[in-house]
Amino acid sequence: MKHRFKNYKVIVVAAMYFSCVFVLAGCGFKDIDKRVFVTGIGIDPAEKEEGGYKVTLKLSLPVASIKSSTGPNYEYLVYEGETLAEAIRILETHTDKILEFGHTKIIVINEELLQENMKDFMDYFVRRSDIQLIAWVAAAKTSAESILRVEPSAESAVSSTLVNFFGSNGTESPFITSTFLYEFRRDMLSDGVDAVLPLVEATEDKKELIVNKSLVVKEKSKPFELTAEQSKYYNTLLNGMSGFSYKAEKEDLTFVINMEKTTVHYKVIMDDGKPTSIKMNVKMIGVIGQSNKNLALNNLKEYDKIAAEAVKKKITDFLTTVQEKNLDPIGFGLRYRTMMLYDKNTISEWQKAYPDLPFDVSVDVALKGTGAIE
Amino acid sequence: MTNSKENPTTPKLMVDLKEQMNPSFDVMLIPLQLEDEVAFLLYLKTAVDGDKLQSIIIKPFFEMKSAQHYGAYIQSSPDLLAIKSEDNIPLELTKGSVLIAVQQNFFLIDVKKVNTSTVQQTLMEPTVYGPQQALSEDILTNLNIIRHRYKEPTLKIEILELKDKTHNDIAIIYDEQTVKPAILKTIQKRIKELDTTLIQSAGELQLYLNGKRFTLFPTLMLTERPDRICYNLDAGKVILMIDGSPHALIAPVVFFDFMVSMEDNYHLFWVTSFTLVLRYFGLITCLTLPALYVAITSYNPDIFRTELALTVAGSRIGVPYPSFIEVLFMLVFMELLTEASIRLPKAISATATTVGGLILGTAATEAALTSNIMIIIVSAVAISSFVIPINEMSFSIRFCRYILLAFTTFFGTVGFILGFLGILMFLINKESFGEPYLKMYWKSRRSEKGVKSE
Repeated sequence: MKHRFKNYKVIVVAAMYFSCVFVLAGCGFKDIDKRVFVTGIGIDPAEKEEGGYKVTLKLSLPVASIKSSTGPNYEYLVYEGETLAEAIRILETHTDKILEFGHTKIIVINEELLQENMKDFMDYFVRRSDIQLIAWVAAAKTSAESILRVEPSAESAVSSTLVNFFGSNGTESPFITSTFLYEFRRDMLSDGVDAVLPLVEATEDKKELIVNKSLVVKEKSKPFELTAEQSKYYNTLLNGMSGFSYKAEKEDLTFVINMEKTTVHYKVIMDDGKPTSIKMNVKMIGVIGQSNKNLALNNLKEYDKIAAEAVKKKITDFLTTVQEKNLDPIGFGLRYRTMMLYDKNTISEWQKAYPDLPFDVSVDVALKGTGAIE
Repeated sequence: MTNSKENPTTPKLMVDLKEQMNPSFDVMLIPLQLEDEVAFLLYLKTAVDGDKLQSIIIKPFFEMKSAQHYGAYIQSSPDLLAIKSEDNIPLELTKGSVLIAVQQNFFLIDVKKVNTSTVQQTLMEPTVYGPQQALSEDILTNLNIIRHRYKEPTLKIEILELKDKTHNDIAIIYDEQTVKPAILKTIQKRIKELDTTLIQSAGELQLYLNGKRFTLFPTLMLTERPDRICYNLDAGKVILMIDGSPHALIAPVVFFDFMVSMEDNYHLFWVTSFTLVLRYFGLITCLTLPALYVAITSYNPDIFRTELALTVAGSRIGVPYPSFIEVLFMLVFMELLTEASIRLPKAISATATTVGGLILGTAATEAALTSNIMIIIVSAVAISSFVIPINEMSFSIRFCRYILLAFTTFFGTVGFILGFLGILMFLINKESFGEPYLKMYWKSRRSEKGVKSE
C-alpha cells in the first residue's frame, strides 16, 4: 500500500506539467486562423519606378462553410518595390495575419520581365524556403495582376482555377504547357536547353482565362511565342501528351486522328565527336476521330501512311522554326552534352553546330481502327 | 445443533482447534455414533458443501460395518488432503475441508462449496465465431476448462498458495514441451517473492508481478478467453490463474500479442490480413491524430491540400483558444465519456453516450468552442482506440497520445516526430520476462548482433 501513495506524487507532478501546457506555447506556434494563405504571386514591372517590380499577392480567405458560400473569396495585395523581397516585406504590413507562402501554387510573371534579370527575381522564390519548388510558373500577357484578378464564374469556393489548368489535376490538354518552378529554374540555368513557360491570357471581359500558347524563354533575348499548334507539338514531343489530334489530307480524303499514345525517341548523330544530324523516331497509336468519307478497315495501313506523312511534315516544321530562332526547347543540346566527355568547348561547339543541323524525323502511326463500326 | 452431547472421548486436537476458532458461530464439531463405532467431524459450516458432506461423509458412516471400514473408505476418497502439520489444519478448515477423526486417525477431506463456478459469457473480447464461453471465478472449474481444451499429457499445472490474507491458489500452467525453462523459473521466483497483504484479482497480480513500480505498458496479458489461453500454451507461454478471478494472465507477452484477436484464427487469410492492417491503422490513428492536428494546424499548415487548409482555417474561425487547448478539451471530454459509459450500469450508459456524443459534440461546434474538423478527429480517435483487441493496451495507447500531444504542442512537427521516436525507443527497450517487447522478428539475434557464432 505504501508505494500506492507515492504514486500520487507522480500524478500531481504530471497534472502540474499538463496545466503548464495550457498556459505556455512555443513561439513557433501560430494557429491556422492567424495565417492567411497566399495562393498566387504575380510580378509586373513597376509603373512608377524604373527597374522595380509590382508584386500582386492573391490571398485565399478561409470559408466557414463550403456549402453555404457562394463563390471564392479572394483578397489582393499590391505593392511596388525596388526588389521582390522588399515589396513582400511591406505587404506583410498590409494584413493582420501572417502571410503563409506554403500554399503558393502559381507564380505569374509578366512576359515583359522574361528577358533580362530573370535570375534577379527568380532567386527570391528559390531561396524562400516556404515557397515550394513544385509551384507552377506561367507567363502573363498584358499583366500578371490582371490575370490573377480574373475570377471565372465557374470557379467554386476554395479552389483555384488557374492552378487546375496545369498538371493533370484538372483539364488535360496537349495545348497546355506545365512548368514547375524547379523545372523552370533548371532549364534556365543549364546549357543546351531553353525553358518553356505557358502563356496565360484573359478574355476581354476578364471573365475567362485562356492557356494554349507558350513562351520559349532564353536569357538576354526576347521570348519567342509558340502558337497553340506549336505548343501542342512541343508538349507531344517532350511529354508524350495524349489527346493529340491531327488532320490528315490526301486528295479528296480528309480525316482527323485522335492519338492515344505517343512515344518519342531522339538521338544526336555524331561523327568524330561533332554533331551531324538529329534523328527522331515518333510512334503514335490512335483511332480516326472524324472523316469526310466512309473508311474501310482493310485500308487501315494506307491511312497509317497518310497520317504519318502529314505528322512528319508538321513536326519537322516545328523543329526548324525553333531552330531558326536558335532556340532549343526540347533539349537536344543537353542530350549532346550527356553523350560527351566533359570539355569546356563542348557547349560552344554545339552552339556553333545547332543552327545548321538537319533533322531526320520518322513517324510511325498505328491506327487501331477507323473509329466506326462497319 | 448443540454441543451438549459432546462425547468425553472427543480427540484433544479437535477440542483445541475448536477453541482456537471460537467465537465463530459456524465452527461445527459433531460426533457420529452408531452403537460402539464413533467418528468426529470438525468443519466450518459456511465453507463446506452441506449436501456433499451429508452424502460422502456422514451417510457412509451409518452404512459401513465398522469404524475400520469407514476409515478405509475415507482414506480412499479422491478429495483426501495430506495433513502436513497441525498448524496447517485451521487454514484448510477455512478453505472448506472437514477434519475427520476415526480410530485415533485424522483425515482432511475437501468438501468446499463454491458458488462462483458458473462459466461466464465472453464480455471483454467477444468474437463473432469462436467459443462464446469465458472462464469462471473458480480456479478448479477454470483448470477443468483448460484441461478439456488442451488434452496433452505435457500440460503441467502447478499450484502455489499466495502468502497473503486470501490464501488464494495460483495455478501456473504450461506446456512442458514448448515452454522456455528460464522464463518459467523467473515467473515461479517472482510469485514466491510476492509480499503483499491482499491480492484479489488477476489484474492486481499482474501489477505485482511486473517487477517495476511505474509501468505504462502491460508486460502480462489479461484474458478471459479459454481459446486464447490454449493458443498461448501452444506457443510456449506460461499461464497464471488466481482463484476468484475470471481472468488468466499470460506471460511473457510482446507488443504484437496485444494486437491479435482470437477471431483472426477463425477467418480466411485475406480477411484476417485486412482486419490486421485495419487494426494497426487504428492504432496509429488513435495515437497520432490529435498530435498531428496540432502539428499541422499550428505549425505546418502547408502539409494540407489548399482546399483543406482553407476549410480547416474556416472552421476555426471564432474558436477562442489555440488548437492544443481545443484538442485537449475535446479529448478530455471524450475520455470522460468513455469512463462514464464503462462505469455506469448498462441501462444508463446508453443515455450518457447519446447526451455526450451527440448533444455535446454539436453544441460545442455551435458555440464555436471547437471546430467541426476537431469533432471528426475526436470521434475518429475514439472509434479507432476501440479497435485494439486487448483493453489494457488500448488504455496504454490512450495515455501515450497525451505525451505525443504535449511534445507536439511545445516543439511542433519535430516534437511530434521526436515524441513518437521516444515512445518507440521506450517500447524497444522494454522487456517482458526477458523477452524483447517490440522486436521485429525479421533477423535472427545472431545476425542482428553481427556475430558469426553464439
